[in-house]
Amino acid sequence: MTLSKLKELVQQVLPEVDVLIGYKQGFDPVHATPAFVTKPEQINDLIWNPLCVHNLCSYLPFMKDKKVGVIVKGCDSRTIVQYMQEKLIDRTKVRVIGIPCRGVISVNKVLHAVNHQPIESINFEGGNLVVKTPEGPKTIPMDEVMPAKCSICQYPTPLNYDHLVGEAIQSDKPKEKVFEDIKEFEKLSLEERRKYWEKEFDRCIRCYACRNACPMCVCQDQCLAESRDSHWTSQRDDLTEKYMFHMIHSLHLAGRCIECGECERVCPMEIPVAKIKKKIGMELKELFDYVPGINPEDTPPMYTFKAEEATIQEHKL
Amino acid sequence: MTEHHSNPYLPELATVTRVIEETPNIKSFQVVLNDPAKMKKFFFEPGQVGQVSVFGVGESTFVINSPPTRMDFLQFSVMKAGEVTAALHELAEGEQIGVRAPLGNWFPYKSMKGKNILFVGGGIGLAPLRTLILFMLDNRSDYADITILYGARTSLDLCYKQDLKEWAARSDVKLIQTIDAEYPGWTGKIGMVPNVLKEIAPSAENAVAVTCGPPIMIKFTLQALSQLKFTDDQILTTLEKRMKCGIGICGRCNIGDKYVCKDGPVFSLAQLKDIPSEL
Amino acid sequence: MAHSGFIPKDNLNSVIEALSKKARLFVPVEEGDLVLFKPFAAGQTMCFSRPANLPPKAVIFPQSDVLFDFNLKKDMENLKKVEVELKENLDFPSTIIVGCRPCDAQGFRIYDRVYLEAGATDPYYKGRREKTTIITLTCNAPSPGCFCTSVGRGPADEDGSDLLMTELPKGYYLEAVTDKGEAVLKELGLADGSAYREEAEKAQESAAKAVRKPFASLEKTPEKLIGLFDDQQFWEAEAAKCISCGACTYLCPTCYCFNITDEQAGSRGERIRSWDACMFAHFTLEASGHNPRPSKAQRLKNRVGHKFSYYPTRYKGVTACCGCGRCIRYCPVSVDISEIVAHVQGAQG
Repeated sequence: MTLSKLKELVQQVLPEVDVLIGYKQGFDPVHATPAFVTKPEQINDLIWNPLCVHNLCSYLPFMKDKKVGVIVKGCDSRTIVQYMQEKLIDRTKVRVIGIPCRGVISVNKVLHAVNHQPIESINFEGGNLVVKTPEGPKTIPMDEVMPAKCSICQYPTPLNYDHLVGEAIQSDKPKEKVFEDIKEFEKLSLEERRKYWEKEFDRCIRCYACRNACPMCVCQDQCLAESRDSHWTSQRDDLTEKYMFHMIHSLHLAGRCIECGECERVCPMEIPVAKIKKKIGMELKELFDYVPGINPEDTPPMYTFKAEEATIQEHKL
Repeated sequence: MTEHHSNPYLPELATVTRVIEETPNIKSFQVVLNDPAKMKKFFFEPGQVGQVSVFGVGESTFVINSPPTRMDFLQFSVMKAGEVTAALHELAEGEQIGVRAPLGNWFPYKSMKGKNILFVGGGIGLAPLRTLILFMLDNRSDYADITILYGARTSLDLCYKQDLKEWAARSDVKLIQTIDAEYPGWTGKIGMVPNVLKEIAPSAENAVAVTCGPPIMIKFTLQALSQLKFTDDQILTTLEKRMKCGIGICGRCNIGDKYVCKDGPVFSLAQLKDIPSEL
Repeated sequence: MAHSGFIPKDNLNSVIEALSKKARLFVPVEEGDLVLFKPFAAGQTMCFSRPANLPPKAVIFPQSDVLFDFNLKKDMENLKKVEVELKENLDFPSTIIVGCRPCDAQGFRIYDRVYLEAGATDPYYKGRREKTTIITLTCNAPSPGCFCTSVGRGPADEDGSDLLMTELPKGYYLEAVTDKGEAVLKELGLADGSAYREEAEKAQESAAKAVRKPFASLEKTPEKLIGLFDDQQFWEAEAAKCISCGACTYLCPTCYCFNITDEQAGSRGERIRSWDACMFAHFTLEASGHNPRPSKAQRLKNRVGHKFSYYPTRYKGVTACCGCGRCIRYCPVSVDISEIVAHVQGAQG
């Protein structure tokens, strides 16, 4: 139903753009892959289901010379808003097709649930997915295999779009739970947290998938993680270097991270890097009462300076 | 002294014996290997390159632009552009560097014997030509006419001014110098190298052209040479790429299946036409 | 040659433990949902049921390796005078890798031609390679994305392995491929395995049949790739979704390109070489600012070209891809190199 409406809309939008970015089936039943549609006959390849995990907005800043149509979920739409704030795209050259979304899957969680068996087919039935492997079919509730961001999603309907597929929906996830995981994690002692991160970062292979997949990592080829000019990190593969890179990445996203979770999703070493960004997001929320990627007219808090921040009382101390 | 003839990554330690300021952003460094026995044994062919190290900063590739016929020192010329070249520009006489050389292929000087040689150079692109020019002048009777066309943006950007003076004074070398625009006191030609080349129109008969310079100059020089009826086999050039290992392993300087560090840097135009256009 | 052996299922762990007493031993270990090659240690959960997420290439080609240490010694009488001391370390320990897959082992054969056989010998690679024995586990089923049979290899290929191990219902059939493998077999003093040979071959054959075939043959692919070199539109379409990260190259058992950098602290430092990726823009960026491969389309073209054209052209037709499928499986956006090769083969021109 949604898919046929989506295809109708794409049909309508395609003549207005040079390329439209959506999703199609990837190399196996559990992977979708971004589809770059330029011809009407490619529209049939498009899919829409919980495999559509990628934040397709990430391509936009690199396609400024083109008119681009893009399919966005609620979470992805915050990227569009953030790009507008930071003037990283020319919004008039982008056609946004929004789709309300009740959650996608985490490929890693699905693979975990089927004990890493090769997946022969996958079907979505109600709130479940039925995964067939050589061991037979297995029914898994969607809630168990969603990425963390979906289970606390506050914006299931895109915040910014030109066309919406179907009706807007409201979040059914309690607001108070948004930072629950971070608060839980912070109950660990400093030493325990340090150990945790050392173990996680130790696996980093510095492939920079997290950086390149991040829609807000706009320095990319000029990234100071690789620069010898400031030489903040070396090419050694020590823990210190890896740690440093991830801290640089996270801090550059303070007040800008729209929590799409791409950094964590793409990590081939399954490092929970989004957790650091979420922690910073939580601090920003407390300090500035600010959530990134909501209002195109906002200025990111770290982009501006106010002698008296409404929510920071230090000058009155 | 470390034993390292088996380790191609380990540089020879060397001392800078002289620094020559060629232009506002180009310096030449004359260097001598610290081990006198190794310096004595050192052998290379004209056109081969070396990796020069500033320890703590890194390595960069430069052609050895002194000829193998004059082995008191090895000379490298360095245009200030990146981290290593900037560090090299800081060096004073007596300071220590590392040298891994010789690397790469060389000019086919044996098959050039008896021919008229035309050198076309621009800016620091004269460096690789200088090696061959001096080598040929030291074996002058092996070659027929030697013509050198050399240009730079301004007269301040001409390198090897002492050489230019000597070549201008020789009767067995024809030197034509040009700069892009009028400059007070300049008595040579005015104009871009490829245009001056067309104007002086050297004959392709029994000739070999060797060219090196900025990419845009090379592009139009190759066109001019073709108009002058030089065949692709009669044209030689040297390429530059970002290199690291210099021995065909690290995979960085490839153009198609050729590695500039190992299969080059010297290529004939005929060879270049056989590899993908990724310069 | 085939000196063979057999390890009953229950004995595998004790055999592995015995190997760990002989040399530095790397085994595939579960870490969360990942399988990574780690030095053998008590308390680990080894995993042989699926290929490791990372091939064991770092065992022989570390992600970051010291080429030499340098020490800049100042003359206290004349501070401008600095003496340089270089120190290399070419002493490498005996090492065994157990449980990598045939594709992983073949990766080292791809390296051998470049690092040992083509001209200059790389002493760091040579030292580790010679001291490493590779005990490979043949694959009994394909993994998502893998396509080894299409690149002229297979789930039981012996190229690059010293000893081949095939899992059977009752245990593991072992067959020596090289003298090194033969020596390990002897040292382990296993029961003769020849009775299981036929069963193992059958298992290997059926595994080979199960591997997907994205393209029939690689004939003319090197030429086709060269023919497509200037087809910008083709490569832009293939690379459209690529995000230009290094995941594919770093997870690849055959990608071997590296960077060399100096790292200094005070008067001491080291020259290191570390994995690099042709997918990064800075890979070919020159100091002048000129970049021969400024776009991701050009960079992806180089990666495909290197494996399926340039390397085979240099090394007697050998394809520098072993079809392990990791670059497909773990690519953030599922770029599929086997699909690109199929497109290349089907392209006009």
